[in-house]
Order: sequence, then C-alpha cells, then structure tokens
Amino acid sequence: MQEEETMPDTNREIHELLVDYAGALRDGCIPAFLKSLTREEAERIASSWEFWDATEVSRILNSVGFADKAVAPNVSLFISRVDAEIASRLKKAKASRPGKRPRRFGSQKRSSGGARSVTRPENRTEKSI
Amino acid sequence: MNKRLRNALKGLADPDVERRRRAMEPFVRATFGIFIRYLYRYLGNEVECEDVLEDVYADIWENPERLRNITNEKQLLKTVYLYYMRKRLREVYRRINRNLHLSQRNLKDIIAPEIGALEMVSQSELQQILRLALSKLKAREQRAIELWMEGASNRAIANELKTTVGAVKMLEYRTMLKLKKMLRYYCRED
Repeated sequence: MQEEETMPDTNREIHELLVDYAGALRDGCIPAFLKSLTREEAERIASSWEFWDATEVSRILNSVGFADKAVAPNVSLFISRVDAEIASRLKKAKASRPGKRPRRFGSQKRSSGGARSVTRPENRTEKSI
Repeated sequence: MNKRLRNALKGLADPDVERRRRAMEPFVRATFGIFIRYLYRYLGNEVECEDVLEDVYADIWENPERLRNITNEKQLLKTVYLYYMRKRLREVYRRINRNLHLSQRNLKDIIAPEIGALEMVSQSELQQILRLALSKLKAREQRAIELWMEGASNRAIANELKTTVGAVKMLEYRTMLKLKKMLRYYCRED
C-alpha cells in the first residue's frame, strides 16, 4: 500500500524517514524500509533524538489501530505449532545426550599402543637398573 | 490477574518437562491475545508475530524460571518482553543486517527497544489515553492521524486535507512528537 511512497526518495529528511518507518510498520514491511536507508539517512536517524521519540508513538498507533488483526481466531492451530516446536526441542535434547559422554575409547587405544607407552617402560627399566 | 492466567502460570512451575509441556496449552490460551498484540506493535506483520511467538513460548517452556513470581498481567508482559521476546525480536532481521547501513545498535533500537514509559501501558489504557490525546489536537492534526490509523496512504490523506504529500508528512511528524509529549504526560498522571 505504502511502498510506492517509501521507496523512491533517496535523501530523505528526518520527518520523511519517520513517516516512512511508521508506514512500513503499519503495512508490515519493516525490512523494505531498513533496506531503503542510505548511509546518510542511517546517520541522520542515529543522531536524531526526535526520530527515536516519535518511533514510540508510531508503535503505539500501530498497536491501537491494527494489533487486533494479529489475533488469530483459531488458537488451537497455533498451540499445535508450539507443541511441535517443543517436541522438536525435546527430541534434539534427547539426541544430544549420548553425545556428551566422554570418548575414552580413543584415548585408551592411544595410551596402549602410542609413543608415550613405548618410552615410559624404557624409563622405568633405566631407573630400576 | 485472572484465575485462568494464575492457574496457567502454576503449571509452568512443574519441574517435569512433559507435565510442563501439557501446561503450555492453558498458558498459551490465556496469554496469546496479550502477547501477539504486544508483538504486533514492533513487527506490524501477523505472520512474523506468530513465528516469533512460537519461539517465545518454546523458550518459556524450556526455561520458565523468570515467570515464577509473577503477580499481575503487567509484570508478566514486562518479564516476557525483557527475557524472552526481545532476544527473538532481535533475531528476526539478523539475516538482512549485513547489507544495511544502519548500525547494529540502531537496528536493535528500532526492532526491540528498551522499555519506555508508554510501552508498558495496557492496550485498553492506551486506547483511552490516545483517544483523550487525539481530542486535544487541532482538527487538521486529528484528521491526519485518524486517516492514517484507518490505513489511508499519505497521498489519500493529502487529497482529503487538500494539501501536498510533503506537507502531510511534516504534519504527521509534528503531530507524533506532540502526541508523544501528551501521552507521556497522561501516563505520568496515571
């Protein structure tokens, strides 16, 4: 809806940036607004306390005016999504548990046939002599 | 806090993961409307809101300690925003971050800001305060904001107010700053 007004300007003043941000928030296209910012505009935003002050109001207007449309009529469907996410995390946690065991097999093998085991007995025999 | 929400929160305190998983259903039912409305103010997109909220609920299930001593709805919303939502909100646009001119800090402040005085006012209170503030504005300012909240484009607002798009943008900007002062004042009074 707002895209034709948010995109074409290249060097926008702070009031235009704020209005474009508010429009992007209202229309659910914040990434398009973020991508449209030039280096100069980003610097302008960073240094303007008025911009940050006004973003809070635009969020509130967005919330009061449009937040109700985000409330899905069927919560059960969403609950099943949450449950599936939990199930997947449980599965991942269970799968990662055996992997946490320390691998002693490799180190045992190394100590039994490695270079260290060859030198140690030699030292011992030298000491005993 | 209502009884339904209180009972739902009790279920989350269970140390057993499977029992806690079952307790998530009443908790989601009791809080979905509150949380998604709150998230919507930052994202403005219902699909993204649901995606973020799905992760938020799973995080709550995994680590519900922060919600142990919650006594009212406002405290619940504040705790959930600070310890669960913010982290997830910041991840939403992480992928596009590399190509942006905006600094990491500014991006964080736009997507998931610190809690301001107005951010924690409940939806119904906000509606009341905003109605009051709008009634104190000049007719032209009031009409511009009303049209904007009805979903009108800046061009449509300019046509309605018989002015240019540039003038409408300036009017909206000034009105938002004016509203900010008024809302802050009313919040302090509350």
